[in-house]
Amino acid sequence: MSDGHPVETDPTTVSRRGFLRATGAGVAGGTLAAMLDARQAPAQIRGTTLRILQWSHFIPAYDNWFDTVFVKEWGDKNGVKVRVDHIPHLELPARMAAEFAAGAGHDIMMNGSSILTRLYYKSLADISDIYDAAGKKHGGWIPTAGPLVQVEGRTYGMPMFYILLPMLWRKDLFEANNLKAPDTWELARVAARTLKPKGHPTGIQFSQCADANLNWRSLLFSFGGAESDVSGENILIDSKETREALRFAKALFDEGMTPEVFSWDDASDNRYLASGVACWIHDAISAYRTTEDTNPDVFKNTHIAMEPAGPGGKRVSTSAANVYMIWKFSKNQQAAKEFLTHFVDAGPDGMVQSRGYNMPYLLGQAKKPMPIIGADPKMQILQDFPKIVAFYGYPGPFTTPIQEVVNLFVLPDMFTRVARGQAIEDVVKWGMGEYRRIFAKHKRA
Amino acid sequence: MARAMAPPMTQRRKSIRRHLLIYAAITPYVVIAVFPIYWMAITAFKQDPDLYRMEHFPFWFNLAPTLRNFKILFYQTHYGDWIWNTFTISAWVALITLVTAVPAGYALARLKLPGAENTGIAIFLTYLVPPIILFLPLSRIVAELGLQDSWWALVVVYPTFTIPFCTWLLMGFFKTVPMEIEEAARVDGCGQAGAFLRVILPISLPGVLTSVIFAFTLSMQDFLYGLAFVSPGDQKPVPVGVPTELIRGDIYYWGSLMGAALLVGLPVAILYNFFLDRFIQGITGGIGK
Amino acid sequence: MTGSSLHGGPDPMARAAVVSVPARAAERPWLTHGARRLMFGYTLLAPAALYVLLLVGAPFLFSLYLAVSDANVGEPIAHFVGLENFKAALEMDVFWISLRNSVVFLVVAAVLKSLLGTSLAFLLLQDFKGKKLIRGLVVIPFTLPIAISVLSWKWMYDSQFSVINWVLSRMGLIGQFGTEGWPIWLGDPKLALVACILVNVWRTFPFSAIVLLAGFTSVPVEVIDAAKVDGCSFFQRFRHVVVPMIFPILMIGFLFDTVFTLSDLSVVYLLTQGGPANATKILPVLAYQIGIQAGSLGRGAAIALFLVPLLIPALILVLRNLKRREY
Repeated sequence: MSDGHPVETDPTTVSRRGFLRATGAGVAGGTLAAMLDARQAPAQIRGTTLRILQWSHFIPAYDNWFDTVFVKEWGDKNGVKVRVDHIPHLELPARMAAEFAAGAGHDIMMNGSSILTRLYYKSLADISDIYDAAGKKHGGWIPTAGPLVQVEGRTYGMPMFYILLPMLWRKDLFEANNLKAPDTWELARVAARTLKPKGHPTGIQFSQCADANLNWRSLLFSFGGAESDVSGENILIDSKETREALRFAKALFDEGMTPEVFSWDDASDNRYLASGVACWIHDAISAYRTTEDTNPDVFKNTHIAMEPAGPGGKRVSTSAANVYMIWKFSKNQQAAKEFLTHFVDAGPDGMVQSRGYNMPYLLGQAKKPMPIIGADPKMQILQDFPKIVAFYGYPGPFTTPIQEVVNLFVLPDMFTRVARGQAIEDVVKWGMGEYRRIFAKHKRA
Repeated sequence: MARAMAPPMTQRRKSIRRHLLIYAAITPYVVIAVFPIYWMAITAFKQDPDLYRMEHFPFWFNLAPTLRNFKILFYQTHYGDWIWNTFTISAWVALITLVTAVPAGYALARLKLPGAENTGIAIFLTYLVPPIILFLPLSRIVAELGLQDSWWALVVVYPTFTIPFCTWLLMGFFKTVPMEIEEAARVDGCGQAGAFLRVILPISLPGVLTSVIFAFTLSMQDFLYGLAFVSPGDQKPVPVGVPTELIRGDIYYWGSLMGAALLVGLPVAILYNFFLDRFIQGITGGIGK
Repeated sequence: MTGSSLHGGPDPMARAAVVSVPARAAERPWLTHGARRLMFGYTLLAPAALYVLLLVGAPFLFSLYLAVSDANVGEPIAHFVGLENFKAALEMDVFWISLRNSVVFLVVAAVLKSLLGTSLAFLLLQDFKGKKLIRGLVVIPFTLPIAISVLSWKWMYDSQFSVINWVLSRMGLIGQFGTEGWPIWLGDPKLALVACILVNVWRTFPFSAIVLLAGFTSVPVEVIDAAKVDGCSFFQRFRHVVVPMIFPILMIGFLFDTVFTLSDLSVVYLLTQGGPANATKILPVLAYQIGIQAGSLGRGAAIALFLVPLLIPALILVLRNLKRREY
């Protein structure tokens, strides 16, 4: 640990509360981890150094805990010096490319949202053993975890946690207008249609940003749509369900949104909620947390709902995956694997420290009641999400062509085009063309 | 001459009229340039909820101003390190640029070296290589030099864009110096190097200082190299450190972000004025009046 | 035009040419020290040339190689694929959109910057009270790290909390929030590109002004005095003496800025990522998204380098022409 975040000293109520919660929970979590982690790491990793690169978490206190408490305790116990570095999460791919080109850098890399295992697997350490062991120890992995990290039967990454984007809705506005909770997309649309004339539209990003990629996929998949088949080879975007989802999105836009959504980025819907305008949004719980800090009145009335069901009753929540991987060039792979095992075992600690952001891929850790979210009446519903979580490419794996589709925002562009008035058939044709070209290029390569 | 024919005006009235005209003309520029800066400055001192109240006048405080954003910057991030790194990196880069680009610019502009023209053009063309491609091979070089994850990596890399730029800029400046002046110096007994050091360089000082300022500021504009080569929190320059720790997921720390930009930009603006001022005074009188 | 003195002809046009004549004459005595001059010259040139050629020249060749290979991030071995990557780029809808946006971006930004920059430099040449302060204020946009100042623009362009809209709306120029007349800067395909260009112009026009200002001030006083003695008005002096003399600086500043704008992705990347629906996608952003984020290095390089073959002849022409002009 050459450097760490200075301990939070800001004397505002919110962060003090966060800090107290974090420290209190840290003590409890520490003992829990110690109980779980009965095994002792092998002696040969003593005296080595381990370097980890990851994003900056939503919650500053989480980074504090991770950098200065969690890795330090593990490092002290095993005689390993651990250093944690952070970079902006959207730029992790650039840093990864640089480390690959240099053949040097960190031992452990985090990937957030853009999961690059399939791109880099030839340069990543095979960690099938610890992946399988963790699955065995914690009641198995959720079915969508494997495809994120597995290539040709081997595992090259450890799925650590994912970030949910649930429905966040204003119960007060709904009740005042006799609206039913947004349990289906149809109910959500009716609510937006009713509340927009009263100054409370909704909004989902019709733009090129990470949330747009996630939110429109949730809608598409809940409508029964699919991106590619399980082999990852065939594109399934040209379907009746896609057309239905596009038609629905167009109606949702026309009736319940304003053109602002064309300009939105990942943070815009947070503000929409926090400013008291939005009747509902579909976003990470950071929107909920931001509102807590900036607009307590709205926060009181903001509730979290299950992923809305599509017309067939299906619910799929497309989440932002987070995965840790080990470079093949790392000279300290053994320590890296030991650490990842310890980290995945300590999932509940991470859930506590992250104030409910980090969701576990391991079924054993997803048992009710889960820490933090299980104890908060408004957040309890999040415990039902592990059953319906999906990632890019659903139901297929997150392949390299899907990676490019995501990076070029093809799917959000399809929704945007429809909202702007292009004919659905033209848009599906355009989208299929883009998908096909990208898939073909990767096959050619 | 037209001016002589104009109706007699007192010196004072003339001066006031002139000033008014100039102020009227320059106001739009100042507004364009400064409005966003003002906005950033005031945002840096606002409480978060104040940012989301559009029904009120947004250019002043609707809630009490706060230092919280700066406290976050200095106590909860590595901002102190970043600002120090940024200025040190920029100073080193400016120095390297100065000692390489000044002689090169002079040689290219004045000495009529065989092959120099093509060398100069080649140096310019390197500017066409987009950093998004360049950073991959450069990361290899940085690693070989053992500089990965140290800000020294950036001291090595930034001159790749400041040298071509400043060399050509200085070439332009050296060309404006009339040959007679150099010739006169040689007649006075200065050697080649003497003429360069004692005559050309002092005359071109505004140009040289301008390129120093540019080397300095260009070093602060990079984002990609800093991102790719430097990840430890205490080694980053400001433009990389700030988005790392002040944009968390989809949460922006607006006030702190803006404060961070201003604290690093304003000193450079002041520096620029301080340096260039004395050289511009007097000389401009010649054309300006 | 006898070349006898700077105060020669009455025609101001001629005067600019006059300056160069003694310069030609001066070549001769230098030649007697030919070898020493060469030694001296190459010694001066060497450090810069070596630095740049080693750290950019070699990597540049590498990037050319990438553009004709099927290199992927994470794929240690790449194969030669000829012009396949360029062909793949041409097949993409979004490539053509990006190309068009890049050209529009470049041209509009360049025109606006030259206009604003020149006129501002011209104003700053005047003597007036408060000049120092104003000069200090107008350079600030250029001194702020772009990666951060773009974020504050993003906030000013916000669909809901835009202060720009707040002002315009209060002035009655646009409608209220929530109505048709409330512009969504980054959401309307037409406005979004304008918004990106404006940020680029805002940030770099002080740069153009500084270059010009320094150029003006490096014109020796004697030359200007000479023109004054000849009774030239301010504009005549400006147009026929100062402008030709600082022409090389002007051109170089302009060229660099153009090239820099071309490879700069930060404004667009941070404001819109190229959205909405690719309305602001420019080549470097596309290259970054395909080459780095999606990992197809070869295609990314091809897109990033696409304009280079077109630019090189034009640049060489301009640069050689510059070289020949002497004053």
